[in-house]
Amino acid sequence: MSYLRNLAKIVRGILDELADQNAYRRFLDAHGRTHSPEAWRQFQDEHWQAKSRRGRCC
Amino acid sequence: MPRTIARIVWAAVALGAALSLGVVAQNQGESVNSTWLVIAAVCTYLIGYRFYAGFIAAKVMALDDRRATPSERLRDGHDFEPTNKWIVFGHHFAAIAGPGPLVGPTLAAQFGYLPGFLWIVVGCVLGGAVQDFVVLFCSIRRDGKSLGQMAREEIGKVGGFTALITVLLIMVILLAVIGLVVVNTLKGSPWGTFTIAATIPTAIFMGLYLRFWRPGKVLEASLIGFVLIMAGIFGGQMVSESPTLAPWFTFSGLTLCFALIIYGFFASALPVWLLLAPRDYLSTFVKLGVVVMLGVGIVFLRPELQMPPFTRFVDGTGPIFAGKIFPFCFITIACGAVSGFHALISSGTTPKLLARERNARGVGYGSMLLESFVAVMALVAAASLQPGVFFAVNSPAGIVGTTPAAAVATITNWGFPVSTTEMATLAQGVGEQSLFYRTGGAPSLALGMARIFVQTGGGQAFMAFWYHFAIMFEVLFILTTLDAGTRVGRFMLQDLLGHVSPKLGQTSWMPGMLATSAVVVAAWGYFLYQGVLDPLGGINSLWPLFGIANQLLAAVALCVGTTILIKMHGSKYMWITCAPLVWLVVVCFTAGWQKIFSPLPALGFLAQADLLAAGPQGPTTAALVFNARLDAAVTGVFLFLVALILIDSIRVWAGILGGSRPRTTTETPFIPTKLAEEL
Repeated sequence: MSYLRNLAKIVRGILDELADQNAYRRFLDAHGRTHSPEAWRQFQDEHWQAKSRRGRCC
Repeated sequence: MPRTIARIVWAAVALGAALSLGVVAQNQGESVNSTWLVIAAVCTYLIGYRFYAGFIAAKVMALDDRRATPSERLRDGHDFEPTNKWIVFGHHFAAIAGPGPLVGPTLAAQFGYLPGFLWIVVGCVLGGAVQDFVVLFCSIRRDGKSLGQMAREEIGKVGGFTALITVLLIMVILLAVIGLVVVNTLKGSPWGTFTIAATIPTAIFMGLYLRFWRPGKVLEASLIGFVLIMAGIFGGQMVSESPTLAPWFTFSGLTLCFALIIYGFFASALPVWLLLAPRDYLSTFVKLGVVVMLGVGIVFLRPELQMPPFTRFVDGTGPIFAGKIFPFCFITIACGAVSGFHALISSGTTPKLLARERNARGVGYGSMLLESFVAVMALVAAASLQPGVFFAVNSPAGIVGTTPAAAVATITNWGFPVSTTEMATLAQGVGEQSLFYRTGGAPSLALGMARIFVQTGGGQAFMAFWYHFAIMFEVLFILTTLDAGTRVGRFMLQDLLGHVSPKLGQTSWMPGMLATSAVVVAAWGYFLYQGVLDPLGGINSLWPLFGIANQLLAAVALCVGTTILIKMHGSKYMWITCAPLVWLVVVCFTAGWQKIFSPLPALGFLAQADLLAAGPQGPTTAALVFNARLDAAVTGVFLFLVALILIDSIRVWAGILGGSRPRTTTETPFIPTKLAEEL
């Protein structure tokens, strides 16, 4: 049972990472803010500004 | 596990690999079940991971979990953050998985399934995965520096600058060739075109949803987006069956080419949150879902391979692309075995997230093994089609004949029987008017995937749905790379131009942004346009060009890796990166030389230009002659740039090994970790 719980936790963690939820949490922590539409928009702008500079795989 | 049991288990795995490879290689004249390929691949990966990667990790890199990684030392809450190894694995795999490992192996199936399969597995275990692992390790030991920075610091300024230019040029060719795959997939297909067109408003809706209505709810928005694109597939069916609407979504290759160029410009210039970001989320989830579905489908359904192990086209007379099995099988497979682009990811976000040094083995080496397995699945899907159908879909009219009757006659004469009735029934079954001349690999892969999916759900009645689902997956995936790649190309160009005029380097300055977007789009758009005009289908010219470029970038990454290994251990372990480097250099330079100078017009760009110039002059002849010469020049530039890095690297290696150059390395000093436990 604990194995399945761990597996579900990992899958959820990967989905959160791919959906930028982990990065957003770190952004909120770093800026000492709580979630709000403005905070998300600021995160989105900063995060994608950096992300869209990175090379894309073929 | 007790030592004896472990030895027995690993001996069984090794035996499994040897036995399956034996069955796959010895099978002549009758079809082979794909299970043998899956077992051979998985057992080889396990051996490679356990022993070869284990040896590199322990003896060569001396990975040490007591050493603090950049994610801990430079933790900033943004880029640098210690992260669970499985999450980093998922992140890294999603970042390295592009359309290449799906398209390359499909095209390489023209040689038969065996050469491609062997290279995908062996090339990955000894080359591609080693490259990804070594570059990741080098970056971790250097504060997460990029490949370009490491090239500059470890080899020299020439190496660093050349790496930057090489990446920019490769990006242009990559975007053109994947654009061509999209054009050849959607031309004359109202169903496919509508489905893909519907993804644009879907992505914009998701962008607005995430920005204004439900900020931060990415998984929720992605789920809605997925429902909408599925609705788009059903909508596409209705459009294709409507005599009024179908013509609105039926386009020629040239029209689609211009539509794609205009789309690329807007995708690069629009705010990132509106189109690129939501499409990227959606594409990532669909990509991972389909890869899992395909893997499960192949493992449970175990399709028989219809393609022979070798075809007559190993002699270089193939209809999809010209050139002999050596070097063109290796160039064509590209990312499924070795990908230079992975070095950019391995020295990008991933090293900034790894919490423990030893996780680099699973993430760097392991992710590439999984990517290679995706390539094996694509090869299985393509090789499970009847060879006659495979060649009818993938061969250009310029080779097999401009009418379906001529095409089937040519292909049947090659020894791969196929009839116009069979092709018509197949096209009707997937809701298309015709499946002839759809070069690029995507439609034949979609056919193979649909045949596998159809057995898992819905039966033959759902063949058309699964075909268009597979098309949607491939094109969505490719368009995301196209959007993002154009933007990356624009930033790289702005970085370069910023040295000439600081204003042009400002990414927030609208005229500069629009101008550089236009330049990048025009660059790949031109190559796309020439691919569409090409009577041989375009793939024959552009895919080898892309393959050569990608493998040359891998050569650059392996030069950096070799330099660092020499600085660490002298010549003792340099063979680990040097062996794949030598192979890639031989393959790429042979392929490049043949593409430029071969006297065969189907293969050599210059011979093709001379033949066209001497023949009857049509309205596009002058453009075709110029394009062939341009392709020759671009290939020459690639070879020259990499030769430059190679010579620079050899000079550095000789200096270090000869004692005339100090072994100075930029590796960061050991700092003990303070992370208490595994995340």
